[in-house]
Amino acid sequence: MQFFGGSEISPSPPAPTVSGNNANMMYVFNRNGICLLYREWNRPLRTLNPQQDHKLMFGLLFSLKSLTAKMDPTIAEKGNLGVPQLPGQGCSFHSFHTNTYKLSFMETPSGIKLILVTHPRTGDLRESLKYIYNLYVEYVVKNPLYSPGTPIRSEIFNTSLDQYVRSIA
Amino acid sequence: MAPAGPRSGDAIFASAERVNAELFTLTYGAIVRQLLTDLEEVEEVNKQLDQMGYNIGIRLVDEFLAKSNVSRCIDFKETAEVIAKVGFKMFLGVTASVTNWDADGTCCSIVLEDNPLVDFVELPDTCQGLYYCNVLSGVIRGALEMVSMKTEVTWARDMLRGDDAFELQVKLLKQVPEEYPYKDDE
Amino acid sequence: MIGVGKVKQYSNVLDKPLSKGKQEVSLSAFAFLFSELVQYNQTQVDNIAELERRLEDAGYSVGARVLELLCHRDKGNRRETRLLGILSFVHSTVWKVLFGKVADSLEKGTEHEDEYMISEKELLVNRFISIPKDMGTFNCGAFVAGIVRGVLDSAGFPAVVTAHFVPIEGQQRPRTTILIKFAEEVLKREARLG
Repeated sequence: MQFFGGSEISPSPPAPTVSGNNANMMYVFNRNGICLLYREWNRPLRTLNPQQDHKLMFGLLFSLKSLTAKMDPTIAEKGNLGVPQLPGQGCSFHSFHTNTYKLSFMETPSGIKLILVTHPRTGDLRESLKYIYNLYVEYVVKNPLYSPGTPIRSEIFNTSLDQYVRSIA
Repeated sequence: MAPAGPRSGDAIFASAERVNAELFTLTYGAIVRQLLTDLEEVEEVNKQLDQMGYNIGIRLVDEFLAKSNVSRCIDFKETAEVIAKVGFKMFLGVTASVTNWDADGTCCSIVLEDNPLVDFVELPDTCQGLYYCNVLSGVIRGALEMVSMKTEVTWARDMLRGDDAFELQVKLLKQVPEEYPYKDDE
Repeated sequence: MIGVGKVKQYSNVLDKPLSKGKQEVSLSAFAFLFSELVQYNQTQVDNIAELERRLEDAGYSVGARVLELLCHRDKGNRRETRLLGILSFVHSTVWKVLFGKVADSLEKGTEHEDEYMISEKELLVNRFISIPKDMGTFNCGAFVAGIVRGVLDSAGFPAVVTAHFVPIEGQQRPRTTILIKFAEEVLKREARLG
């Protein structure tokens, strides 16, 4: 799926370099819209405070998911736009890109949403997001000192995530 | 529709890292003993075990989803089968079966073929009201709540209380749709 | 009734054949259970020392039962009576049963005659842990220290057992050392036995 494509108004960012550093940022949300993790590698421009930023990102995905399901040409029965869906109901999108970035998205039936923003020419990151979900399970969910629904403070998770992201994008 | 995940947890269990069941069983025993000392009332211990199971369930569901590649859980019948055939095997190395469906498909029984929690256990006279395995009912309730199914899980049969099997009754109360979590004025 | 198949009922737990200890559960199942043990005990205490003490208590009751189980199963009810014997029993037999491997090392303390150390590069209970800065020196290994104390105490070797992180050069994660300090009576008896 390509959004906002067509005429290229602003120039693309430099082509991806071979080794790493092409990831911009990552978000992990739970179903209640709580941002469990925000990690930033390369984001020169910031105009919003973090709370606004997180809320906007969550809202974008929530609306987009609802819209994409509504526009699904293959399914006859669907609710009205904005009517809440059960988790896993309807189709789901996994990425979009603009001329300046690509957003990859994965949502689990338990309501965990993983968002990775990278260079627009990055390939399919679905398997990578699955891998990151596994990191989350190993180092966050199984950490005896982690309380579900709270921001992630695990050093070992952050280090592993940084390393992995550098290797893929 | 494509199946939502594997039919059995055998392969996942075989490839997973495993520990001796005795470490697990004895640790669980230590938890129950701690609760009996802390809370004194058997009824309170039952409640706390269920709560602890719930706390485990809301975490464990992510491990389950990550390892089993289950991508959706919409149909309760399918979900109950997956818990029994994949979930129990994947974590405890035992199988369970689903029976006793009611007419409208919202209530069923999960019968355990083996139960590693209860090796070495016999309830003393002072703990006769104890649901020793109550952690399991909590786990199922917690895990299902995370996939938006509100359930009530109770013991229909308990071998430690003289029944001929371990049987959990799982009743679907409602499925909760995804709501936009923020209020406009936030 | 359907599905009851394999479940056999014994009127008394003693009639049931003692398991050979070959059954397994997934490491995750144990990790989640252990997490909940830690989380529950966090609600019962207001400081780290107290939390470690409660985890040690839980471990103690596991250790006491492990000793019973192993003596019955593996040794025809014989128990170790000498210090080095019991230490090596903990380091190899107990470790193997509980953690699937012999402990990485067993050493005698260099400064004190009554101290021994069992070390493990990655102790099972510390496998998934990430300690926030505000919890300082907290070590989940207190549970394993409790297991060791439970085994030793029940075998007639009372000791103080504690768990410590020891940084390893060039490694991100520290190893865990279980420090065993035997009671005076144990060393006296040992000296008498010659």
